[in-house]
Amino acid sequence: MKAKILLSVIISFLLFSISLAQSDYEKTQSFKSKYKQIEEAIKNATSLEECNQIGINISRLKEEFLQDKPLLDKSLYPDNFDASFAKIERALEVRKGDFTQIVELTTTVGTLKSKVTELSEKNQDLIGQIRQLNLKVEKDAATIASLEKLVNQLKANIQQRDLLVRDIVDSLLAEFVKAPSTLNDAEKQAIISKVDSKNLFYNIERTISDNIQFMRVTQLTADDLSEMKKQYRDFNKLWKQIGPKLADVYLNKRDKSTEIANIDNWFSEWNMRINEEMWNQISKLFREKNLKLLPFSSGEQFTNSALSFIDDEIKNLGVKSSEESEKIFYTFTDSVYFAKVEPTWIPILIENNMMTEANKDSIESRIGIWKEKVAPASAFNWVYFILIGIIVILIIAYFMKGRKKQSVEN
Amino acid sequence: MHKVRIILISLTLLTTYGCSSLILSPSDFSWPIENVLKVDEKGFVSEDRYTFTINVKKLFFEEFKDSTNYSGKEIRIIRDKSGYYYITGKDFKNVYLFLPIENGMKLEKKITISETESLTAPVLNQKSPNIELIDGTKKFLLNYKGLVR
Repeated sequence: MKAKILLSVIISFLLFSISLAQSDYEKTQSFKSKYKQIEEAIKNATSLEECNQIGINISRLKEEFLQDKPLLDKSLYPDNFDASFAKIERALEVRKGDFTQIVELTTTVGTLKSKVTELSEKNQDLIGQIRQLNLKVEKDAATIASLEKLVNQLKANIQQRDLLVRDIVDSLLAEFVKAPSTLNDAEKQAIISKVDSKNLFYNIERTISDNIQFMRVTQLTADDLSEMKKQYRDFNKLWKQIGPKLADVYLNKRDKSTEIANIDNWFSEWNMRINEEMWNQISKLFREKNLKLLPFSSGEQFTNSALSFIDDEIKNLGVKSSEESEKIFYTFTDSVYFAKVEPTWIPILIENNMMTEANKDSIESRIGIWKEKVAPASAFNWVYFILIGIIVILIIAYFMKGRKKQSVEN
Repeated sequence: MHKVRIILISLTLLTTYGCSSLILSPSDFSWPIENVLKVDEKGFVSEDRYTFTINVKKLFFEEFKDSTNYSGKEIRIIRDKSGYYYITGKDFKNVYLFLPIENGMKLEKKITISETESLTAPVLNQKSPNIELIDGTKKFLLNYKGLVR
């Protein structure tokens, strides 16, 4: 029995000696390989907890190779044992810093998200109430007042929600400090998690769809539409910055790529609806005054339609009675174009690149020609001017004569 | 005559002193660890840290009497304190000691480890002033004079 124990002790000792008989090269390679694994883990870490675990692994590696420090000091050229650990410990601290910032951002965005959900629900409710009130055939003063109040409330809510969603997008943009192609898998995953947890795509779609619904249920003024167009421009600009980056991040996720493409479509639809509403309202101004312009939905079409209307009126000058022609001229110019379209809508259209200064000049110069034909400055007017001139000269002459007489008498 | 002898001896000493080469010492050329280098298809190995490239075809011929079977094989190389390069590899029976010369390395000593058995997994460790050779369970201590134990 004793002999057996002795034998096993000897064998164990031999095996231990064999295991100790290791190449310094292999030891160094082993250290380098484990060190590299930790470096990769730091790069790919996705949370603060993971970073803390990496910190523990670093301490373990240090302990494991402490006895080989003299060898590693020489072999880890150009670094040494301590410098190598200082390097990864610093890298770990930097990575931890990233997560501390992300945690703070996540909290902020989390608050924003709950506010967005709350507002979305309120908006849905308001849209329902407005629809109900609109359905009432006869609206008394109280109903109208209530309707106005609800519309204003809805408008304020939608604006507030737009801002919140934009803040979420903004906070995401802050994470795209690097180009998406240079992001590693962990960084991509962090962005994906954030997008998913904030329900970003849904919220953007919802914001746009609410804006479109708001346009449907309410009667918007030129100022409202101008404001909405600005909101669209700002939000679309932000999306244009982040959309392609997100598309790169979600390159291999077909459903998400489709969602991103859908959001592009939503933005196009939003823009199209605002433009449509603007052109409809301008068209309505002419229709209300029984001026039948050809339909238009762009600056070029509007210009052509107005020019074509004026040209037709000029052509028909002999056909229609002069009173009727004059009436149409003054209605077009004084009641519609110069009263509402030119001061209210044209600046908005030009500001939003929906119409050019050249279009405006073209319409106004044609109105000038029309005026010459319909209401020319008549010869009778000139006679009036000459008569007034003669009277003025006679009065002056009379006074001059009176003064001369007085001076002779003196 | 005695004076002439003294002058001649002094001249000889001065000339010999002037001709003697300048030696910088002491020195330590030892590498902390061996290097494992793969032989390329042209027979060259390249070392990055100490930056040298050398053709080892003749070494393979010397060891295996075959100068074609070298591509992709590994050699293990380490330098001792005195500046000798120790080279060996898997299936070698010898460790070769070289010193650098102009445009190459010159074989200074060939230490036979075993006449019959080849090395199966040799590694070289720095045990200054000696070099340790481990092959599985076998351990040898070498220096530029030969096998120490």
